[in-house]
Amino acid sequence: MLEQRGRESVSSIAQGVKQLPQLLTLLHKETPPPEEPALGFFTDTSLCIGCKACEIACKQWNQLPAATPDWSGTSYDNTQHLGATTWRHVQFIEQIERRIPAGTGQSAQQTSSTLPKLSLFQPMDSAEAIPATPPGTALPFFNSDRWLMHSDVCKHCANAPCQEACPTGAIIHTEYDTVYVQQDICNGCGYCVVACPFGVIARDTGGDGQAHKCTLCYDRLKDGMKPACAKACPTESIQFGEVQELKKNAQERLGLLQEHGVSEASLYGADDKILEGGLHSFFLLLDEPEVYNLPANPARPSNHVLPTSLGTIITALLMGLMSIFFFSNKE
Amino acid sequence: MDNTRVSETSSSTLPVNKERENKWPTSSQLPQPTLLETLAVWTTGYRPDPVRELQEKSYYDYPALKAPVWSWEIIWYFFMGGLAGGCYVLATIASLFGAKEDRIVARVGYYASLLALLPCPPLLIKDLGQPKKFLNMMRVFKVKSPMSMGVWGLLTFSMFSALTAVIQAARDGLLGKWWGAKLLARLPQRALAVPGSIFAIFLSGYTGVLLAATSIAVWSRSRMLGALFVSSAFSTSTALISCILRIVGAPVKTLHKLERIEWVNMLIELVNLLAFLRITGRAARALVGTGPREKGPTFWSMMFGSGLVLPWLLQTWLLFKKQPVSPRKKKRGGLGLIVSLLVLLGGYFLRKTVVEAGHVSSADARTSLWNARR
Ligand code: SF4
Ligand code: SF4
Repeated sequence: MLEQRGRESVSSIAQGVKQLPQLLTLLHKETPPPEEPALGFFTDTSLCIGCKACEIACKQWNQLPAATPDWSGTSYDNTQHLGATTWRHVQFIEQIERRIPAGTGQSAQQTSSTLPKLSLFQPMDSAEAIPATPPGTALPFFNSDRWLMHSDVCKHCANAPCQEACPTGAIIHTEYDTVYVQQDICNGCGYCVVACPFGVIARDTGGDGQAHKCTLCYDRLKDGMKPACAKACPTESIQFGEVQELKKNAQERLGLLQEHGVSEASLYGADDKILEGGLHSFFLLLDEPEVYNLPANPARPSNHVLPTSLGTIITALLMGLMSIFFFSNKE
Repeated sequence: MDNTRVSETSSSTLPVNKERENKWPTSSQLPQPTLLETLAVWTTGYRPDPVRELQEKSYYDYPALKAPVWSWEIIWYFFMGGLAGGCYVLATIASLFGAKEDRIVARVGYYASLLALLPCPPLLIKDLGQPKKFLNMMRVFKVKSPMSMGVWGLLTFSMFSALTAVIQAARDGLLGKWWGAKLLARLPQRALAVPGSIFAIFLSGYTGVLLAATSIAVWSRSRMLGALFVSSAFSTSTALISCILRIVGAPVKTLHKLERIEWVNMLIELVNLLAFLRITGRAARALVGTGPREKGPTFWSMMFGSGLVLPWLLQTWLLFKKQPVSPRKKKRGGLGLIVSLLVLLGGYFLRKTVVEAGHVSSADARTSLWNARR
């Protein structure tokens, strides 16, 4: 594979030169389409049933190949992560034995003497209210075990680090303020891959070697249709619409849930805090973001450029001055 | 992690889980810290606590970030680019501020700079997923993207480096005696070298900025990687030039100056490295730790030990040793040659371990999420 790439790259220089006329036409700037209201997703994990319809609908519409089966051995989720050919991914978070059942306290202690003390049993507010049941016999309605389902997707960040990093200008904000990779431009440098704070965008190493991620079904939007995942979702866990409106809905939904005692519910990315501008594809979560592998408050990589450059310049000046001193020093 | 545990009753029926549980270390089972481990704890100021770290939440410990797609090409590019820039700067300083006998530094420096630069563009192009589209890099000029700036900087510096080296060659009579060569020899090399040096510094340092402007914890947390890379670029180039001079032979006085510059450069690099490790803290474990995938063993032995501290100590000893200085004398070889080679090796391993630590760091979900908690 690598060798093949190497041979390709040698001939590629000649090819690149031949490409020049075509590239000049790429330089030509087309007038962008008029601005439209920002569109996005509101993924409400409290409604998700883990049917994976979104994952499959996305693959079908975007003609993405199926993942090679690989048993994860940790849960029913064998896809494990988003990737170059997986643009929606449903996480299955199994929270078993979150509280200490009264009857099993003893044996739990015994096992923990040989094991690291993990907080397997998180105390819950309702722990007292639920009567202890013999281990393994609790009905689903009466115990606190739960499965959290979460359909993960590109966050379409308002200030997208992938877009800021891209050296070819392949990644753009469309007229709907969604983040889109222009496949004819991307040359697979891979900088966006390490820039994304959510581990979303990936290079298709086995395929065309370019970067791919959710397009928010740009092609469908152009024709006035909703994205395939939102269309397929049977529980309205994935809602699609204008970001302003979605954020309002999200607040309402959060209020409703909290009213019903789901105090752990929270919104992720709905305000303007994350990456200094919020996410156009945001979530309602039922636990801390880390449980979903989501960073609580990631840094914006482009903010590192200035301080790092400053340190570089100071060091270079210092070393240059020292060299000047020693060279001009006449003993 | 706690989410991944199955209930007690079912775990006894699942041998796989049993095995995994037994492998987890308890505090009493932890092996005595080795020398490298102690060094790691000292330099980062972070004592790993597996028991507490396992309690941190993540999604089955699957990586929260994507692994970098960069490998050996980029490591060599970082190393060679640093040499190209550093040699150019040192050569310019020697020609502007040096004595007459120091001109040899300028000559060797400009040639070395161009030679080190030559493999850079092919390495960068080969690294792309679609090498034939490399010209797309020149579609935009993006100040926010270090990679975009890097491409433009590399291009500009290549022109300066090539022109300066050609002038040098013309002056050295390598281009023959025809009128073109004479014209080239008369071009103002020094006036060219000053703006060229600015781009040279850019080339030797921007690679660190490029890595720092990502989401990978070990690269970005300290905002110090640019300073570290530029200092390594300077010390490796000084080493390269003095290495070449010791092979071809050079005035003792010039070598002595280079030795002192090398000594200071290594000292600055050491300070930068220690600051980098300390500020990066827990995220630096990927680079200095001794865990299964962590890069500690290579880092401490090849980079820190034999690539920085050992040559620095040797250099210190050499500088303090009384040397009879006869100004006209030329010199070859000597212990200084070994010092220079060690520094070059250390510079390569710095790039290698830092890039590879990025891969390790991206796979460590809990540290990535910790880094994003701020
Ligand atoms: S989530 Fe990642 S890939 Fe998606 S827009 Fe943000 S930075 Fe880009
Ligand atoms: S891989 Fe493609 S989309 Fe990503 S930064 Fe490079 S050119 Fe841009």
